[in-house]
Amino acid sequence: MEYAVETFSLTKIFSDWWGRAKVYAVDDLNLQVQRNEVFGLLGPNGSGKTTALKMLLGLLHPTKGKAICLGGDATDPKISARIGFLPEESYLYRYLTARETLDFYGRLFGLDRQVRKMRIEALLDMVGLKAVANRPVGTFSKGMARRIGLAQALINDPDLLILDEPTTGLDPIGTRQIKDLVLKLAKRGKTVLLCSHLLADVEDVCDRIAILYGGKIQAKGQVKDLLQQTHKRQITTDAISDSAVEKIKQIVRLENAECVVSSPMHKLETFFIDTVVAAQRQAQRTSGAVSTTKIGDFLTRETVSENILDKLVSTPLSQGPPAERAPTEKVVPAETAEPKPDERLLGKLAEPAQPQPVVADAKPGTKPVETSVPEQKLVKKDVLDELAGRSQPKTEDPGQTDKPYAGDSGDA
Amino acid sequence: MRSIWAVATNTIKQALRMKVALIFVLLLVVLLPVMALSTTGDYTLKGRLQTFVSYGLSLTSLLLCLLAIIVSIYTVTSEIEQRQIYTVITKPIRRFQFLLGKLLGVMLLNTGLLILFSAAIYTIAVYTPRFTKAADSELIEAENEFFTARNALAPPEVDVSTEVFEAIQKLQKSGDIEQIYAGMSPKEIVAQLTNLRKLAKRSADVGHELIWEFENVRPRDPNGSLFVRFKYQVSVTPPDSQVYSRWLVGDYRQYKYGMQGGVPMYPVQRKDPVREFREFEVPAVVAAEDGYLAVLFFNDPLNITSVIFPLEDGLEVLYKADTFTANFIRAVLLILFRLIFLACLGTLASTFLSFPVAILLCLALFSTASVSGFVIESFDYLSESLTAVYSYSLKWLIRLLPQFDKFNPSTYLVPGRLLSWSLVARVLVFMVCIKALLLLVFALIIFSFREIARIVV
Ligand SMILES: Nc1ncnc2c1ncn2[C@@H]1O[C@H](COP(=O)(O)OP(=O)(O)OP(=O)(O)O)[C@@H](O)[C@H]1O
Ligand SMILES: [Mg+2]
Repeated sequence: MEYAVETFSLTKIFSDWWGRAKVYAVDDLNLQVQRNEVFGLLGPNGSGKTTALKMLLGLLHPTKGKAICLGGDATDPKISARIGFLPEESYLYRYLTARETLDFYGRLFGLDRQVRKMRIEALLDMVGLKAVANRPVGTFSKGMARRIGLAQALINDPDLLILDEPTTGLDPIGTRQIKDLVLKLAKRGKTVLLCSHLLADVEDVCDRIAILYGGKIQAKGQVKDLLQQTHKRQITTDAISDSAVEKIKQIVRLENAECVVSSPMHKLETFFIDTVVAAQRQAQRTSGAVSTTKIGDFLTRETVSENILDKLVSTPLSQGPPAERAPTEKVVPAETAEPKPDERLLGKLAEPAQPQPVVADAKPGTKPVETSVPEQKLVKKDVLDELAGRSQPKTEDPGQTDKPYAGDSGDA
Repeated sequence: MRSIWAVATNTIKQALRMKVALIFVLLLVVLLPVMALSTTGDYTLKGRLQTFVSYGLSLTSLLLCLLAIIVSIYTVTSEIEQRQIYTVITKPIRRFQFLLGKLLGVMLLNTGLLILFSAAIYTIAVYTPRFTKAADSELIEAENEFFTARNALAPPEVDVSTEVFEAIQKLQKSGDIEQIYAGMSPKEIVAQLTNLRKLAKRSADVGHELIWEFENVRPRDPNGSLFVRFKYQVSVTPPDSQVYSRWLVGDYRQYKYGMQGGVPMYPVQRKDPVREFREFEVPAVVAAEDGYLAVLFFNDPLNITSVIFPLEDGLEVLYKADTFTANFIRAVLLILFRLIFLACLGTLASTFLSFPVAILLCLALFSTASVSGFVIESFDYLSESLTAVYSYSLKWLIRLLPQFDKFNPSTYLVPGRLLSWSLVARVLVFMVCIKALLLLVFALIIFSFREIARIVV
C-alpha cells in the first residue's frame, strides 16, 4: 500500500556561514504515514518537528534522504493542490482582511469565484470569524489569526492536512473544534499529520504517534498500544450507595487485587466549555462588544459550523454513532435540546448513502427540500463546482447560512 | 496563470495598503501642480513649457524608479522575512510563477502611476498656452519649437583626412612639427589638425559664401515649414555683436546645372547676435522632391568679421517629422523601459539579499546607470592617462548597465526633437529584451533553487 507521507532517512544538518557548528535538526528520519490516518509527531522544543515538516513541503532541502507526499514531490502543483498546511505560527498578510486572505489562497488553488465564495463563507463561519471578516488580519489576536490560518489550510478540501502545532493560541473551544475537525476528516478518508507537544490533544485524536528527540525517532506506534495499562481496570458507575461500594470492594478482594473508590473529576476542558456556554446564553441579548461576539458568534453558530464541517468532511454528522458524537454534544447547546431542522434533513438524506460519502445519486431526492440542496452538493467537490455554475444556489446559500443563526438566537 | 494573477493583485494591494506607493503618489500630486504654477524658465511661454515638462518628467521618472526598486525588493523580502511565503509557496504555484506574479504586480502598479502622471503632465502642458496671457509671437514660437517633434539634420561630415595627412607630412619634412606641437602625441596632433581643417570648411570671410547640401529632407507636411538653426562664432566681435547675413534655401542644383522650372531658392536677410542659437523659417516646398536641400550663407560686406559655424551644432536644418503627442508617448515609453529594468534588478536582488542590502545595491547601480553615458564618454577621453586594464574592465562593467542619461526623455522633448521609433526600439531591445531579461532569468534560477525557509541571521 502506498503511504500518504513517507520519508527515507531524511536528514537535515544546519551549519553556520563557515560550514561549522552543525545542528542535526532531523537525523535519519524514516516515517510512514498511512492514508486515512491521524499521525502525531511529538517531541520537546527544538526536536526537529517543524524542520521535518518543512522538508516534506519543500521549504527546506534535505541534507540527505528524501520525502514523498501523496506519492510525489510536494512542490509539484498536482500534489500540492491536495495538501493543506498550517505553519507553526500564522504568517498572514497584515493588510488583507480575513475574507480577502481566504480569497487569495482560494485563487492560488485556481478555484472558481462561486466555489471560493461559498467555501470562504463556510470556513469563516466554522472558525467563528464571520463578524470580523472585513477587518485586516493584522489587527487580529493571536488565536484569531490562528483560526484564519486553519481556514486557509482547509480551503482546498485537502487530502493531506499538515498541521504544525494547530492548537497553540487557541481557546479551549477552538482546540476542541480542531480535534473534532481532525476526527471528522479522518472519518472521511483524509490523512492528517500533526505535530504538537500538547499531549492531551495528541492523545485524543491520533491513531499513531512518533516521538522525536534530537531529530531522531525515540518511539512510535499505536496510541492505544502505547498508553493502555493492561494490568489495570477502571469501572465507572452512577452514584451508587456506600453499601454497594462495599460489596464491590469485597469482590475485588476475592480476586486478590486492590481497589480505590472516588468520584471522577470533570475534565477542565469540559467544565470550561460548559461555563462559557452558560455565560454566552445569558449575555446573548446584550452582547455587542467584539470580544464577546467573537466567542458568542462562534458558539451560537456551532450548528452551522457543524454543518459546514460536514460539508467539508462529507460525513453526515447526526447519523454518526453516539460515541463519536460525544465531544460535540457538550459544546452545542442547541443540539442537546433538539436537532435543527436542516440537521434532521441532513440525517434523512444521508440514510440512503450511509456507508460512503454521499454521491450525486442523492441529488434528485434532495431537490424538493430547499435548505439541504447546497449541503448535499458541497459534499463532493465536482458536485460543488457544478453547483457554482448555476444561478439557483446563489439565492439559497445565504438562506442556508442565515436560517440556523436566526433559529439559534430564538432558542437562547 | 491564475495564480500569477493572484500574486500580482496581492502585490499591488500590499504596495497600496502598506502606504509604500502612497508617499510617492502624494509627492507627485503635490509637486506637479506647484511646478506647473511656479516654473518660469526664461519668462517666455516656450521656456516655461520646457522647464515644466522637463522637471515634471524627470521628477516622475525619478520617483517611479525609486518606487520600482523599493516595491520590487520589499514585496519579496518582506514575504520571506515575515514568512507569509510558507503558506503561499506550498500551494499549487511554481516558484517562477510566484516571482513573475510579484514582478507583474510591481510593473502594473508602476505603469498605472506612470500613465496617470504623464497624462497629467501632458494635459497641463497642452493647456498652459490657453491659460496664460502670451503674445502671439510667443504662441507661434511655442508651437514651432516646443509642440512639435522635429527632425534635425546636420550637414554631412567633410572628409579632411587626406588634407591632414598631407599637412603633417609637410610639417615633418620641414622639421617644424617638433617646435609647433611640442609635447603632444601624434594622435593629439592629428585631432587638432582635423578640427582646424573642419572649422576652416565652415567659416566664411567677409563677402564670401558657404554652402551646405542635405539629403533626405522629408517634412511630414510639404506645405509646412523648414527651420534653419544656427549659431555664429566670429574672429572679431562686432561693436554691436550683430552679424548681417543673407541666405538662400532651396534646390541649388537648378543654378549649378541650369535646370528649369523648379521652385526658386528662398531668400532670407537677417541680423543676429553672435554666439546664440537662432532659427528662421522657410516654406517646406523649397526642398526638392528627392529630398535634396541646399543652404547658402553669404557673409554680408557690411560685416567686419569672418563668421564660423561651430562644429557640433553650428548649423542644422529642422523640420516637423511627427506630432508632439506621439513624441511624448515615446518619451514616456523610455521611462517605462527604465522601470522594467529596475523592477527586474530589484527582483533579482531580493531573491538572495535582505531588504537593506538589496536596496543599497540597487540604488548604487541606479545612480551609476544614471550617469553611465557620461562616465563612458569621459573614459573615452581619459583612456590615455588610465592604465588600459583598469579602463577596459571598468568600462565594460559600466556598459553592462543601461545608460539612463543618454536616453533621457527631456533631451528630446525640451528642444522639440524627434524621438524616433527606431531609437525607442533600440532601447527596448538593449534595455528590456537583453539586460532586463537576463536579470529576470538569473532571478528565476536563484529563486527556484534557494531554500525558502532557510534563516540566515
Ligand atoms: N535555519 C536554521 N538554522 C540553524 N538551526 C536551525 C534552523 N532552523 C531550525 N534550527 C534548529 O533545528 C532544531 C530543530 O528545530 P525545529 O524548529 O524543527 O524544532 P521543533 O521541534 O519544531 O520545536 P518547537 O516545538 O519549539 O516548535 C533546533 O535546534 C533549531 O535550533
Ligand atoms: Mg516547531
